[in-house]
Amino acid sequence: MNFKALLCLFVLLTFYQGEAQTRAKGLDEKLQQLTDMTAKKSIIPLNLNKFKEYVKSPPRDYSFIVMFTAMAPARRCAICQHVYDEYMIVANSFRFSQAYNNKLFFGMVDFDEGSDVFQMLRLNTAPVIMHFPAKGKPKPADSMDFERAGIHAEAIAKWIQDRTDVQIRVFRPPNYSGAVAFTMLFILVAGFLYLRRNNLEFLYNKQMWAVCAVFFCFAMVSGQMWNQIRGPPFFHRTKNGPVYINGGSHGQFVLESYIVAILNGAVVVGMILMIEAAGGVKNSDPARTQAEGKRRRFQSVVGLVLVCVFFSLLLSVFRAKTQGYPYSFLFK
Amino acid sequence: MTAEVQGRMKLPQLTSDKQLTFLKLSVLSMAAILSFATRLFSVLRFESVIHEFDPYFNYRTTRYLTEEGFYKFHNWFDDRAWYPLGRIIGGTIYPGLMVTSATLYNIMQFLNITIDIRNVCVFLAPFFSSLTTIVTYLLTKELKDEGAGLVAAAMIAIVPGYISRSVAGSYDNEGIAIFCMLLTYYFWIKAVNTGTILWATMTALAYFYMVSSWGGYVFLINLIPLHVLALMLLGRFSARVYVAYSTLYCVGTILSMQISFVGFQPVQSSEHMLALGTFGLCQLYAFTQYLRAHLTPAHFELMFKALVWTLLATLGTAAVVLTITGKISPWTGRFYSLLDPSYAKNHIPIIASVSEHQPTSWSSFYFDLQVLVFLFPAGLYFCFSKLTDANIFIILYGVLSIYFAGVMVRLMLVLAPVMCIVSGVAASSLLSLHVKDIEPKVEKHEKKKKHENNLVFRSEVGAVFVCVLGCLLISYVFHCTWVTSEAYSSPSIVLSARAHDGARIIFDDFREAYTWLKMNTPEDSKVMSWWDYGYQITAMANRTVIVDNNTWNNTHISRVGQAMASTEERAYEIMRELDVDYVLVIFGGLVGYSSDDINKFLWMVRIGGSTDRGAHIREADYYTSAGEFRVDAAGSSTLLNCLMYKMSYYKFGLVYTEGGRPPGFDRVRGAEIGNKDFNLDVLEEAYTTEHWLVRIYKVKPLPNRGL
Repeated sequence: MNFKALLCLFVLLTFYQGEAQTRAKGLDEKLQQLTDMTAKKSIIPLNLNKFKEYVKSPPRDYSFIVMFTAMAPARRCAICQHVYDEYMIVANSFRFSQAYNNKLFFGMVDFDEGSDVFQMLRLNTAPVIMHFPAKGKPKPADSMDFERAGIHAEAIAKWIQDRTDVQIRVFRPPNYSGAVAFTMLFILVAGFLYLRRNNLEFLYNKQMWAVCAVFFCFAMVSGQMWNQIRGPPFFHRTKNGPVYINGGSHGQFVLESYIVAILNGAVVVGMILMIEAAGGVKNSDPARTQAEGKRRRFQSVVGLVLVCVFFSLLLSVFRAKTQGYPYSFLFK
Repeated sequence: MTAEVQGRMKLPQLTSDKQLTFLKLSVLSMAAILSFATRLFSVLRFESVIHEFDPYFNYRTTRYLTEEGFYKFHNWFDDRAWYPLGRIIGGTIYPGLMVTSATLYNIMQFLNITIDIRNVCVFLAPFFSSLTTIVTYLLTKELKDEGAGLVAAAMIAIVPGYISRSVAGSYDNEGIAIFCMLLTYYFWIKAVNTGTILWATMTALAYFYMVSSWGGYVFLINLIPLHVLALMLLGRFSARVYVAYSTLYCVGTILSMQISFVGFQPVQSSEHMLALGTFGLCQLYAFTQYLRAHLTPAHFELMFKALVWTLLATLGTAAVVLTITGKISPWTGRFYSLLDPSYAKNHIPIIASVSEHQPTSWSSFYFDLQVLVFLFPAGLYFCFSKLTDANIFIILYGVLSIYFAGVMVRLMLVLAPVMCIVSGVAASSLLSLHVKDIEPKVEKHEKKKKHENNLVFRSEVGAVFVCVLGCLLISYVFHCTWVTSEAYSSPSIVLSARAHDGARIIFDDFREAYTWLKMNTPEDSKVMSWWDYGYQITAMANRTVIVDNNTWNNTHISRVGQAMASTEERAYEIMRELDVDYVLVIFGGLVGYSSDDINKFLWMVRIGGSTDRGAHIREADYYTSAGEFRVDAAGSSTLLNCLMYKMSYYKFGLVYTEGGRPPGFDRVRGAEIGNKDFNLDVLEEAYTTEHWLVRIYKVKPLPNRGL
């Protein structure tokens, strides 16, 4: 460890000496310095001088990928952070892969540190990722098109492969949050069971399991799994105000699925009310007293109304989504 | 109500018991007939044809089976597909479907009923859905009572989630697999309720039939062990369950291993391990109970602990060793994508891209199930309030399959039957609760007096309730019929459209083209097309294809994609290499058929560029500089000169397609094509169908030397 730190220090020192001594450097020297810088940080921060020296000036047999960005919070560039994260993943994947060589380097120019570079290249947007090939000037295809390819690390890697023939296998640092959440849940449940170990009767409570199963059904039937996999927006904002129901039959919004779950739930509650009003499943004797009879009557009417109203609401929501659907009930 | 009245008028001399039986029988047979009839939309509208793509392969193999016999079929090496590789058919398919229809065909022939094998195939799925209706009745009867069985049978007869896979002409594994699945469940419930080896063996036989017909049997062989485990946990495990499960597992596993496509999977792959583990657990459980009966408690305690630890250690070591040596196949991607829904999205793009593997949105649930969506939870409530061994099974089945259907839209098929069964239970119980109120009651005089007011209202509320439930069920019938008629009854081999005056136009170009190929090309010619049409070409035109819908070899498909996406010269090299004689493309620009080859073209580019030999094909070259995919003059020159473009638009520049538009106006893309004036160097046009939907080109031979 110590040895490594010393080596780093030594490298640093030589690097600073080198910069102080000469302006134009030989290819080997430049390569050496770039390799050292990459060893420290997989994305090399560049300012005007460094940009000119490593990227623009001639003795060069390596490709340079440079991201132009504006990371300062004052610039309010939300996407820059995302692009930076993805770009970092690509650079790291390359840095720690077996394909690592000194033919390709990753750099970054922040607007607040190298605004002259932006001027030099006549860039007025950020972020931009450009490729500076080993020979010749960058062509139009050498700046990456985020709109078409997207900003994912895989897309960046594919674009780099297109431009430089260096294949980078993107390795994402695994996301532990899911595992952690799962472990927490597991510990919670296990702890709960342990605390109540003398009284596990509640596990055999039919009512609880029934409620769980029915809620699970609502979640599935209202397309929560679809939300989970596709990640749709909560609802859609348009000029004419928010839209809660997706017009197409193949899409849905998160809010929409909640609405549907509630509609379904209301219909089912209505049905269960009516079952109970009619004497329940066990077929217990019908109402004995006047008050009881009134309550039950009231209950069945409420159930009936719930079923009718919410079923027709559901029908009209579905009708709005499916073209040419001819049926409706109560409401259009 | 009407049926009842009719029955009474016709059969006045029968006792009420017999009347009831007659009524049940007539309702059930009407449901069975209805389930057959509602699947005939496409036959009535078009004719008795096989639908889509995969059914054509099944049809072809069935024909082979009836003509050549089972042993030849079992050893069949198909040289008509995947030229020059070929494909082993016997060992790579589930033969249940073919054997079933061949058997039916032979029975018919034996009875001197001359029926074409194609018609057997077309009507097999509706026939089996009639059988499914009956099995559903039996199963629901075991769970609840006959009334619920009748309602469930009527519901499954028309449920769209099941119709989507079993209309006439859709000759696919799923058509019979649902029947096998429900039959297995029925026998299983019977076996659990009675505990006899007879019913357990029947279960194993039904399971064998299921294994032989569909890969979805994995669901079944995991569900039944889960049921056994749940029974153990709830303290309901008994000798009945022991006999049923042990018999089923032993006989069923040995039988299922006879299917060569399944082979040794039942004892090796992790998907079957739950069944094996539960089998072991059953034996242990029974053994400990036996010991407990014969030993003193202290001895038993010691023995039990020692046994458990030894077993755990052995099993753990064995599992680790087998996994490391690769004897137990690792968890497959399909399995993960079911358990962890985001797995497929992140890791397996090919699974994510196939539309059958998409998750299910709420509107598809509603589209395929309608009122069942909220009758089902009510039915679950009923099942929970009266737990029996059978009810536990149906609850497990319902909850599991609703999860799987949420992950994968295709598994709606497995969900639909349990939805019908549970909803049948719910609807029948609701009705019987309330109908009781309407019917005039013979009660004790004092009681009636006491609650007179109350009872009047009860009967009214009951009547209104029965009306509302009737409305719901009627809307279910309308919905199902509409969905079947609009969404699930197009054969996709024959297309239809409406003309301006409302008349129906039929586009029968596919069959026209395949017949041309069959009649006008040499028997051994090889046809290149995109893989979607492979099965149809081999089945209908009887010609050799390069790739087909069994997409087992990606590099081969990629080679075809490269040929389609390259210039004529490069494509010629590839076509010479693959020994292609004819090339077939689907073109919809004249009539506006949007799923043609130009719209699929980007997939060809992507797949073509995905292998080493296709490195020269880059997707970006086929877009304009603004990143659009355009076929007009602004389109990229690579696209405008590739083989697919030229074959699709050859001589199209001379045709007027729409009034007020220049010639060469593509009605799908809505643009005038950019490259009109060109000739083909290495191909010559062989045939173009009436509406230009299918265009066939002949590959020219090498030019003579010195010319």
